[in-house]
Amino acid sequence: MTAALGFAGRNAGRLAVAGLLLTILVFPVISDNRYYQTIIILSLLLAIMASGWNIISGFAGYVSLGQTVFLGIGAYTTAILSLRVFGPDEFGQGGANPFYFIPVSAIVAGLFAAAVGPIIMRTRGHSFVILTIAFLFVMQLIVLNWTDLTYGNRGLSLPLPDWPREWGNLPFYYIFFGILLLSVAMSWWIRRTKFGMGLIAIREDEDKAASVGVNTPIYKVLAYIASAVWIGAAGGVYAYYLSFIDPRTMFDIVYSVFVVLAVLLGGRGTIWGPVIGAFILEPLNQVTNNDFDRWFGEGIWDANVRLIFFGALLMMVILFLPRGIIPSVQDIFRKRRESKMAAEVGARFERKPLTVVERGALEAREAPAGPLLEIRGVEKRFGGVRAVDGVTLAVERGSITALIGPNGSGKTTLFNLIDGTMSSDKGEIWFEGERVDGLAPYRRAHLGIGRTFQITRLFRQMTVLENVVAPLSSFSWRHLGADAVSGPEAERAHELLGFVGMHKFASHRAGALSFGQGKLVELAQILMLDPTLIMLDEPAGGINPTLIAHMEEMIRELNRQGTTFLIVEHNMPLVLGLCDPVCVLARGQTICTGTPDRVQADPAVLDAYLGEDFVLEQKAEVSS
Amino acid sequence: MLVRLDDVFAGYGGGDVLQGLDLAVEDGSVTCIVGPNGAGKSTVLRVVSGLLNPRKGAVHFDGEPIGGRDPGDILRLGIVQVPQSHGLFPNLTVRENVLMGAYVIRRERKLVKERYGQVAEIFSIISERGDEKAGNLSGGQRRMVEFGRSLMLDPRVVLLDEPSLGLDPKALKHVSNSIELMKQAGKTIVLVEQNVRFGLRLSTHGVVMESGRVLLVGEAAEVLANPEMADLFFGGSAHAEAKTGANGSPPPTTGEDTTAE
Amino acid sequence: MTQLIQTLVLGLLLGGVYALLASGLTLIFGVMDVINVAQGALIILAAFITWALWNETGLDPLFGVFVTTPLMFLVGLLIYMTTIRWIQGKPPSTSVILTFGLALVIEGVMGMVWTATLHRATPDYFNQSFTIGDIYLRKSQVYGCAIAIGVLVILYVMLKVTWLGRAIRAVSANMSSAKLVGVDPTTVAALTFAIGVATTGAGGSIAAVLYPFLPGSHYAWISRILGIIVLGGMGSLPGAVIGALLLGVAETMTATYISPQWATMVPWAVIMLVLLLRPQGLMGQKLREDVAL
Repeated sequence: MTAALGFAGRNAGRLAVAGLLLTILVFPVISDNRYYQTIIILSLLLAIMASGWNIISGFAGYVSLGQTVFLGIGAYTTAILSLRVFGPDEFGQGGANPFYFIPVSAIVAGLFAAAVGPIIMRTRGHSFVILTIAFLFVMQLIVLNWTDLTYGNRGLSLPLPDWPREWGNLPFYYIFFGILLLSVAMSWWIRRTKFGMGLIAIREDEDKAASVGVNTPIYKVLAYIASAVWIGAAGGVYAYYLSFIDPRTMFDIVYSVFVVLAVLLGGRGTIWGPVIGAFILEPLNQVTNNDFDRWFGEGIWDANVRLIFFGALLMMVILFLPRGIIPSVQDIFRKRRESKMAAEVGARFERKPLTVVERGALEAREAPAGPLLEIRGVEKRFGGVRAVDGVTLAVERGSITALIGPNGSGKTTLFNLIDGTMSSDKGEIWFEGERVDGLAPYRRAHLGIGRTFQITRLFRQMTVLENVVAPLSSFSWRHLGADAVSGPEAERAHELLGFVGMHKFASHRAGALSFGQGKLVELAQILMLDPTLIMLDEPAGGINPTLIAHMEEMIRELNRQGTTFLIVEHNMPLVLGLCDPVCVLARGQTICTGTPDRVQADPAVLDAYLGEDFVLEQKAEVSS
Repeated sequence: MLVRLDDVFAGYGGGDVLQGLDLAVEDGSVTCIVGPNGAGKSTVLRVVSGLLNPRKGAVHFDGEPIGGRDPGDILRLGIVQVPQSHGLFPNLTVRENVLMGAYVIRRERKLVKERYGQVAEIFSIISERGDEKAGNLSGGQRRMVEFGRSLMLDPRVVLLDEPSLGLDPKALKHVSNSIELMKQAGKTIVLVEQNVRFGLRLSTHGVVMESGRVLLVGEAAEVLANPEMADLFFGGSAHAEAKTGANGSPPPTTGEDTTAE
Repeated sequence: MTQLIQTLVLGLLLGGVYALLASGLTLIFGVMDVINVAQGALIILAAFITWALWNETGLDPLFGVFVTTPLMFLVGLLIYMTTIRWIQGKPPSTSVILTFGLALVIEGVMGMVWTATLHRATPDYFNQSFTIGDIYLRKSQVYGCAIAIGVLVILYVMLKVTWLGRAIRAVSANMSSAKLVGVDPTTVAALTFAIGVATTGAGGSIAAVLYPFLPGSHYAWISRILGIIVLGGMGSLPGAVIGALLLGVAETMTATYISPQWATMVPWAVIMLVLLLRPQGLMGQKLREDVAL
């Protein structure tokens, strides 16, 4: 008996969802109540919308406030096709069944998303949200004014259903249910695949995702399309269900916000959260609409009170439960689990040797002659300041090259230019004999450039293991559907984590790590890309000497196995002991390159660090 | 001692940048803090001006404890900081930028007007280009406007974070003159400088930091003349300390034992 | 030709009023990075209050400005202290969703108090016009524009000359330096929000005369002022004025020469074009996608 209760407790969520689905499935068989059937139908619709919204806004983090645009597109597609194109003749005979056009609605919605997506997803944050609202209103106005096609404000009336009366709304009921299951299945599938992991990476830190090889432009548009298709299909069914559609109800901004509320209630970024949220919100909506008058007397609860109620609910949820019910509950359990884990792992730092590094592919590659990385006359200005002022330097294959210089000399800017985070104003950057200065960051990652950041950037909501598995060394359509964490990849990730000494933290959330731990994980992440060139931005910054020594060991070992390094560092002992050549940057220009000894002895370098000599005369005047 | 830090530990969440820092600043002195990057120099200033709360240890100003207090409070006590870069409001005029320095005493109109007059006299650029948008000035000119702004509260202590950063030699001359003028007006100045020679040459005292601790303290000229300065920047503290002891230079004031002589 | 000039002048007059309405939104955004979607609803709220005053006491709606402006200032302060304050620093979508909820609440309240029927304040001069040559300018539009300009001038002077104004401009330029000189960002944010909402007071009073309105009209208004600040540059007051004039003219031109229905599309089309082609608008600062430098 207790075993059964234990099982129930652990799997409460799953049981609840299973119970819900089962209830929906059999309800019409048990009960004839049309009213409740209607509530379920509308809840199913909201759940489909919420599930779709969740893909673009929950997984990818691009919050859309205009998702109903696809409902409207789907509805009008089906309506126009079944009425105007394949409609009944003048005598009201013939005409195609609207159900045939549901798939077309889905496809048309997807096409709109494919066309508009690349354009509006060039923006982020505020701009993106506003653009989704604009898209919704523009479509509404187009449909409203293109009266030839859509009859504008007069709306379109669809043919009435032609099945036996006893069936009632059941066909709609089960079709909506089917679409919901398909939509949730797609969400579930996405979450499990590399595609989903890429979307979450984009949500956590889009530029970092790009720098580890995620093809962000394509991923974002695919997410937008995925978020649109089932909503489009549902739109077609909805149109038939209502029998009459008009621009205002089909492209309704308030319903769009309603969808957001549903997902916020249930839980952004979860699979079932949107569904649960919808099944809380829609019944609430219907009951307050219809029953409150009966229960509390006329006029107490009218349309205005509902607006206030739902508006206030939206405000409360975003203020107090911004991630939703499910994630907030999960958080409570997870925090307890994590504090237990931290106590277990303890403070000792252990590192496993990297037993085998798969460099077979690398050896097979024909290494072209010449330096691995060449920078020719690169310039970058910010406003009036020339951060990088004509830098020319070459990084030889197999070297550990250091890039040093006083504050403000342009080192990090140069890194940003090499990895593609910024684009140069002038000059060329060549890698492996190919010109790369026009390429997007993810392309450069694919070519073999890996880069860590001065302030470590990880995907905080993902686990350490997921972080290490997230980088992609190439883009392929097939790859999108692969498992997020596959067998061989997980093995490799564990190996890399062992190498940096973080294997015990594999299931920790990355956001909970200390600064030094995060640095190690970031290194493991980069190694997953199997890069030819690793750029380290202040690897020794902000960590204790023991850890610095470990860093040095790891760098040497990786270098022995063939990886070239370019390191920005301020820690002179480390640089002088580890690197050769050393390149000195000052005021955005290279002033010296050579062996550590040569650089140390060069008076120009000393000047750059200690300061120029000219002030001597002036000071003598002033102080006397 | 006007400003004292005793065994201060402070950091930004990742870990402590200052690791048991001791520092004493004399009234009327110009003290320059130098050291390699990551030593924690700017952090010292932030602890004094209240932008960062020390985790452990004590900070005193004229005998009064100020560690952990609000930047606004510390401002009223008489400590002003001029930040490293982007300190001005580019969309406000030069005049408005300087006036903002007196924000906390804005109700005392007469006083504000008086001070503005004084400051404009010291830094001529303020009266010459008072109505121009600060964003249009060059780096060196902006620096001077910032100095002027910092004097509006007639502070006792002025903290300068890398005043030479990004400036060409001509501008550097103006900056060193300005600092000299502030010193003559009786201000105690603490500056952090990357440009070691520039900084130590304008100062009365020098402090060398590394890894969050003070390595060396003394009169500026002596610190600058110390042959181990180069070593410090290129060979690390162990190297420098070993030689320091042997040379009999002023004993290092550090938070922990250095290598034995 | 007369029609062209008439349309242009009308567009400019409307633009003046729009400028006032947009100024609050852009001020709030510039200081706090918050897009207050409820600004439209607040305008309608002020319009209703103006109408109620005019209906009960006969107070000229344009004089209602003196009542609604301070009242809306207090409303803005209240809204900030109870809600906006807690979301500073959160991602941009948070403020949009929150203020949208607020807009719905306000719409519901207005519907309860005044019902969802068209209202309009129609003082004596309502049907009268000034005639200059062949051009007819409705008195309400001219007065409305004059008042809008007056309030804008006061706002401008306040920002330029008072300490609070300087503090507001300082915070929107450089928050950390502002803190260094002793400015309290929360106080400045609260006052900025309150002032931003106060402008809806004056604007709403004017709108009560110019257009018929009901609780649901706030969508039309927020779309307009969003369009204006996007065009002019989010955070720039001069940009808001220029954007408003341009939009006003664009609207009247579209309404006259194409059709009134398509005129409602103009703000949205503007938003889409600007955000995609020149996101910083005419005069805004480029929103720097800051990467660790």
